[in-house]
Amino acid sequence: MDARRADALPVRYAGLDDIVNRVPVSVVWEITLACDLACSFCGSRAGHRRRDELSTAEALDLVDQIAELGARDVGLIGGEAYLRKDWLDIIAAIRAAGMRCDLQSGGRNLSEERVAAAAAAGLCGVGISLDGLGATHDKLRGLPGSYELALAALRRVRAHGLSAAVNSQINACTLPQLRELMDVIIEAGATNWQLAITTAMGNAADHPEILLQPWQMLEVMPLLAELAVEGRERGLFLQPASNVGYYGPYESVIRNVLDPEIYFHGCNAGDTVMGIEADGTIKSCPGLGSAYAGGNVRETRLREIWEKSEVIAFNRRRTVDDLWGFCRTCYYAETCMAGCTWTSHALMGRAGNNPMCHHRALEMDRQGLRERLVKVKDAPGRSFDHGEFEIVVEPVPARVPDRIAVHG
Amino acid sequence: MAESGRIPVPLRLCRGCRRFVRVDGREDCAFCGTDLDAAEAEHEANVAEMRRAAQALRAALAGRG
Repeated sequence: MDARRADALPVRYAGLDDIVNRVPVSVVWEITLACDLACSFCGSRAGHRRRDELSTAEALDLVDQIAELGARDVGLIGGEAYLRKDWLDIIAAIRAAGMRCDLQSGGRNLSEERVAAAAAAGLCGVGISLDGLGATHDKLRGLPGSYELALAALRRVRAHGLSAAVNSQINACTLPQLRELMDVIIEAGATNWQLAITTAMGNAADHPEILLQPWQMLEVMPLLAELAVEGRERGLFLQPASNVGYYGPYESVIRNVLDPEIYFHGCNAGDTVMGIEADGTIKSCPGLGSAYAGGNVRETRLREIWEKSEVIAFNRRRTVDDLWGFCRTCYYAETCMAGCTWTSHALMGRAGNNPMCHHRALEMDRQGLRERLVKVKDAPGRSFDHGEFEIVVEPVPARVPDRIAVHG
Repeated sequence: MAESGRIPVPLRLCRGCRRFVRVDGREDCAFCGTDLDAAEAEHEANVAEMRRAAQALRAALAGRG
């Protein structure tokens, strides 16, 4: 990739140098677990603060440690990040340390005053969560009126000259509304749209009815490809999360960042991505569960955790021999390594076999088969926990014709 | 010096079916059978032709101004 094209990429895009040097290019930091929404799919089961969240002094020291590792982008999440009293100090410190700072928010109480104060502190952009239209969003987010509040927050962000983005969950409720949702968010002024498949963790593990089934990837991927092309023409840049994929005929279209030859090259947790919980727990990806915690900055310096923790290094240790099920013998096994670690772990109880995959669904379909997930174990009810699912392989049901001819 | 991250295993885009294929010495696409090098050469020729046409159009428009 030439320098001009590299300059045009968002700073959180990692290049080969970043991978080789293991630069945590993108750090996602849950600064509090306090939240003003009650989302039915929330992976961290946010609501109340964690018992022992970092103090202001600890948080500001952590900003310096993040900068020392060469991070370029710090995304603040929650819970709801603005519910932490010192959130503006944290934003200002991140910017003073030379890093980009974005906020991901449900937008319920992202008031005019808060947006103005965050912009003054140096905030670069805001991603507002929009999960379907009107009533669908309100139901998923657990609060009537939250859709309109989120849209108003998005317009406010735009009016203050901040980069405006939208994050959306792809699940059984939102999938039929994605096309119309794109029109809404373009109209509201968003220029980036990150889409992630709802992972079966936390509250979502308690609501299997909202999760996508593996065979629905046959519908998801062509739709995303269509939206990606149309969105680009209309000034909206679609960004699939790393649990969306993989390969198949639309891989190039949906992951095209000025270069059609970009493809999913495996989970990047612990290589160029870092996750931080509000109590200082360090993980190699923000979505991962507690089994993937590499240490806590209250006990160990961040650099030491990042460079020496074997838990953080799980991704580098993984080989094709660690894969199982369909993924073990998949054509893309060496590159893909079973895709998003947490998607497969949260569904199957361990990583290495990921049914949420387009290539896999296509291969099954070619044989007249499809995979269906059936929940067999409940989640215990903790933050970032998961239940367990079994895969049922079944024949593709006969397609019902749109119209049945009636002969009189 | 910290340990390196996992270096991505390269894939190649088939210009016939738009699927990524492994770089394993095979000359045809594992999915659609397209000759990968021939399709790539044709693609590059098409891109070059489009660039030439766009440049000619820009020059023509500049001439009108």
